[in-house]
Amino acid sequence: MMAADQPIVTTSALTKAYGPVIALDSVDVSIPRSSIGLLGANGAGKSTLIKLLLGLISPTSGTATMLGMDIRADVLRIRERVGYLPESDCLPMDVTAADFVGHMAEMSGLPGRDARQRANDVLYQVGVDEERYRLIRGFSTGMKQRVKLAQAIVHDPELVFLDEPTNGMDPQGRDDMLNLINRIHRQLGITVIVSSHLLEDIERVCEYVVMVDRGKLVANGRIDDLMEGGGDVVVQIDGDAQALVDRLAARNLTTRLNGLEVIVAAPEGGATDAVYDAIRDAVVEMDVPLRLLRGRERSLEDVYIQTVGGVIAAEQVVAAIVE
Amino acid sequence: MSSNQPPGAAPTQPYGEIYDLGYKHYDGKRLGRTHAIQALIVYSIKRGLGIKKKWTAKLIPFLLYTVAFIPAFIVSGIQAFIPADDFTYTYNDLNDFIGLTLFIFAAALGPEMLSDDRRENVLGLYFSRALTRLDYLLAKIAAMGVLLGTIAFGPPLILFIANVLLADNPITYFFDHFGDLGRIAAYGILVSAYLGAIALVIAAYTNRKGVAGAIFIGGLLIVAAIANALFQALDTGIRDYIILFDPVDLIDAISAWVWDEPTNMDIAVLQGGWYSLAVLGTIAICSLVMYRRYLADE
Repeated sequence: MMAADQPIVTTSALTKAYGPVIALDSVDVSIPRSSIGLLGANGAGKSTLIKLLLGLISPTSGTATMLGMDIRADVLRIRERVGYLPESDCLPMDVTAADFVGHMAEMSGLPGRDARQRANDVLYQVGVDEERYRLIRGFSTGMKQRVKLAQAIVHDPELVFLDEPTNGMDPQGRDDMLNLINRIHRQLGITVIVSSHLLEDIERVCEYVVMVDRGKLVANGRIDDLMEGGGDVVVQIDGDAQALVDRLAARNLTTRLNGLEVIVAAPEGGATDAVYDAIRDAVVEMDVPLRLLRGRERSLEDVYIQTVGGVIAAEQVVAAIVE
Repeated sequence: MSSNQPPGAAPTQPYGEIYDLGYKHYDGKRLGRTHAIQALIVYSIKRGLGIKKKWTAKLIPFLLYTVAFIPAFIVSGIQAFIPADDFTYTYNDLNDFIGLTLFIFAAALGPEMLSDDRRENVLGLYFSRALTRLDYLLAKIAAMGVLLGTIAFGPPLILFIANVLLADNPITYFFDHFGDLGRIAAYGILVSAYLGAIALVIAAYTNRKGVAGAIFIGGLLIVAAIANALFQALDTGIRDYIILFDPVDLIDAISAWVWDEPTNMDIAVLQGGWYSLAVLGTIAICSLVMYRRYLADE
């Protein structure tokens, strides 16, 4: 068992290329034991990173360790302690959930009797109770996702990879699945790495995020840290909002109108007292009632857009210079 | 229910227990990779036989086992009542049934072993566990071998046991015919390995079970027809060797060689080494193809 403060995953210049297409480009990252979100658009390289770490595909270059072991040399030892929920459909149709999860437990080395017992217990935990004796063919998408989750944790792994776990689920199912993932980490103590392109999912279940875009690592860190720095300020007055926009612009503040609300962009480092003072002064000058004045939280979406957008802009500048 | 306790008194024995159904960490045995391979073999055998599947999945294995074993039982029964001089039924005769059954069983089993796992994307779940691709493949080959082996070895062994028990002196008969067991094994291993290897290769490239089975049967029959046409067209000594490329008649010829009897076709029985070479060559080619399909990326 590795120490709790040691990174659970470290990569060094990890690269995977399929011919001329680079799916993962020299990724250096160190991920702590936590609930981790792997965030990126479809095709960004999330699944490639997971498959590399699990040894399902070989890296073109670079190295990585997981649970303190080298992903090439100790791949089987790593897999004994890791669970995996793939993005795609991966369940046999003509088997009952109990039989299949039990079989997967045996595949992880559990003796037959223990495997069957664990399968029943874990299926119960993920909310597949009486249905576990039915063929998987008749399951809804949500039930299948639960069975996939059950097979991923049936052998009691230290770390579980969940690749797009809410894929294709309805809102209620998605909510249930996210609650389950939360439980897996917070109550069961299993480290989870959730790969998703849905920012809300990551924001809801993860404490740490790794952002990838077009095969490159663009940001990583604790979500709270990344969202620090305050966001924009939202103002609503009982009067002419456009006039307020003009007055604030005259005070060198960047503003925009969003319906009845005036959004004042936060300067670098977050909204300062000077911004609030300027808003107050402008409203006083207009002699109108102030209905709303609040700081807008910086969301993960803001962080993602700024980070990925920043990378794209930087690349465009470099490309322009090269040309 | 009777009780000596006064009403309202606290029960002296607990009448129920509260179980904690919360998640528990597993602290039992972990048997590792060897156990996983064994479990996969057993699981694959069960699936091959249609166990825990719909009745339709059990139909083909049941029919094939019936076709393979019934002649052995019938012949054994007849031999119990009719003198051996009046009724002769050889292992080579029995192999006509066994060869056909193995042919169809291989067509059904190959896809059952590999096609479903590919089509349903279960491979990712297997390979994310402490199981190598080679382990997976060996487990599937072993399961296929066990199932084909039951048909290849079972009926002739029944006939052998019947012959021993019906002999005037069973012990003398057993030792005099001990070599028959080797011949039964030789035929069973060669034919099972030959048909099994081809069936698995086809299944490795076909996700649909029905299509894989049809390709196996249709493909081998077409190859056999071409070989037969060549055999008829040629008029030199080389024609005897064409059978090595004829998957249908090769099975018959192997039986003829093993039991030292004439073939059903009008051709000479070759030296046994040629048949072994044909089987080993086929297995080598199939192994190479399977390696490229499953192991090259590892």
